[in-house]
Amino acid sequence: MENRTRILEAYTAHLREHGTPPHTVHAFCKSLDLGERDFFHEFASLESVESAIWGDWISRLATSVSSGAEWKDFSARHRYLTFLFAFTESSLDWRSLMLTRFSHLAPVASPPFLKAFEEHFKTFAADIISHGISTGEIASRGPLQAFYPAVLYIHFRAVISFLLKDESQRFERTDAFIEKTVAFAFDVIRTQAIDSAFDLARFLTPSVWGKMS
Amino acid sequence: MSTQERIRSNRLDRMAALAGAGARVGMNYLKHYGRQAISGQADPDALQEKNASEVFRTFSELKGGPLKLAQMLSIDQSLLPPAYAKQFARAQYSAPPLSYPLVVRTFRREFGKDPRDIFDTFEPQAAHAASIGQVHRATRGGREFAVKVQYPGVAESLRSDLAVVKPIALQILGLRERDVAAYFREVETRLLEETDYEKELSSAMHLSAACAHLPQIRFPEYHPEFSTRRVITMDWMDGETFDVFADGPAPQDLRDSIGQALWDFYAHQIHDLRVFHADPHPGNFLVSGDKLCVLDFGCTKTIDAAFHAKQFAFLDPTLETNPARLAATMESMAILLPSDTPAQRAHLMTLCKRSLELLSRPFRSPRFDFGDPAFMSAIYELGEENRKNDALRGIRGQRGSADTIYLNRTFFGLYSLLTRLRARVQAPIPTGLVFE
Repeated sequence: MENRTRILEAYTAHLREHGTPPHTVHAFCKSLDLGERDFFHEFASLESVESAIWGDWISRLATSVSSGAEWKDFSARHRYLTFLFAFTESSLDWRSLMLTRFSHLAPVASPPFLKAFEEHFKTFAADIISHGISTGEIASRGPLQAFYPAVLYIHFRAVISFLLKDESQRFERTDAFIEKTVAFAFDVIRTQAIDSAFDLARFLTPSVWGKMS
Repeated sequence: MSTQERIRSNRLDRMAALAGAGARVGMNYLKHYGRQAISGQADPDALQEKNASEVFRTFSELKGGPLKLAQMLSIDQSLLPPAYAKQFARAQYSAPPLSYPLVVRTFRREFGKDPRDIFDTFEPQAAHAASIGQVHRATRGGREFAVKVQYPGVAESLRSDLAVVKPIALQILGLRERDVAAYFREVETRLLEETDYEKELSSAMHLSAACAHLPQIRFPEYHPEFSTRRVITMDWMDGETFDVFADGPAPQDLRDSIGQALWDFYAHQIHDLRVFHADPHPGNFLVSGDKLCVLDFGCTKTIDAAFHAKQFAFLDPTLETNPARLAATMESMAILLPSDTPAQRAHLMTLCKRSLELLSRPFRSPRFDFGDPAFMSAIYELGEENRKNDALRGIRGQRGSADTIYLNRTFFGLYSLLTRLRARVQAPIPTGLVFE
């Protein structure tokens, strides 16, 4: 087994077992019977190992859903839904680990160990958005649409917090949450709601300033 | 825009939608009074029709709880103005579908496989919707299936839905909470029961076996191997929807024969099996040639022999002329209570007599013509009158048996269906009833 895989597996096992990352690279390498040189050849820090664990999960899921037979016929909305449902299904194997690592996170900002997780997700989301724009499902809005992947990431994190708090049988409420929020989000992206909101904000901003001065 | 995108996403959205319906109803009133002021005349029925369709549109967009609630309220014609009752009685077709990825997700959760791993073909678009799920068409080994998939988590969200919707619905519909408390409890119980697909499957298989000998009734064959608590698979049935058939050019003798089949189907269930399909709604039937197909067993009801005897004692023809007997029968069903004042007693007895005279008409004539619109109108009118009767409102609610609600719903639905069919039906008093 190559070192990268060994490190990832041992690190995952450690997280599952102890609920916290290993304290030092040295201790971790010792338990793995691996030279530090070999460790740093693969990863720059302990945090970057965990980042790779979560990031690899997202990229595996993205590859797996987009290689499905029906993928090419799916709209952007269906693609995103398919990804999220694949995620919740796969999360059953990760639930305990997610509970220890995700439960206390602030809803928006990503800690360093979720860097790759966020990046892979946003790359995938950007693909979905550009598919939606090419089919006319999502209105093209110039520079504004650069924020779409970030908005979807916030949504994705909201799905995760919902999932981790979900007590329903087989987490069915999370499925309903996904279905409904995605329908809502794509309604907003598609319609002129965003444009109107910005227009309103632009209109109001000077007058608010005027009052304050 | 696909219909799916119109689903209301959360409670707040739902409240906003309901408030929207309230506002539109208000606007209609304004227009109505405006017109009255200008022309000096207005048509209150037209106003009510218009309001009903606004409210109906909102409820069917909201799906699940609210739609079901509207349907349940329409059971008792004395609760809602006729225009509302008619609109809601037709509810069910217009509910929006769930997305295909969610259907796939549900399959993976239930069977561990994609729908297309189980079936040779599986249509991603729903063929039609039900209030808590939707039906997909599929094939396997040359056989066609109808696969009903339930909304995930629907059972859990129903309670909160109803809690949110109830006060607003009461406001829009102009109902008083204590008048309808029993119905709301009823709706909740029924709804939760309808989410139990395992129960539905076993009732469907039981009832279709017990009614298999009825010559003009057809049931789809059910497939437990492709069914779970969230999915029911049955054979695909071809045919015209009941509405299309009833409103179409079908000849009178076919209408009569379909109507008779429907009547006999219910008579057999209620009087012989004492388990019945308690949701006689046009969406639950198809007409194929001279056969009537029964599709949905989400709502079945069992009654015991004692209740059956007490309830159908009201069919005794001598009750109309014998007040003492009528009073005794009403007492046995707790419609008259020992605590009633003589005035209340007299009031209730008059009412009961009038209802009986009206509702038992089909049983009294050798062949009853449901094509006469006067019959259903009279039922609606009586209901409307009762609804407006404040003396009656004060004493309704706590009376009668909960089982009566189901029977009323069933008979009201059955009469409505037969009226839409304009069928002439032989409805003899069931054999085996003993009027002591």
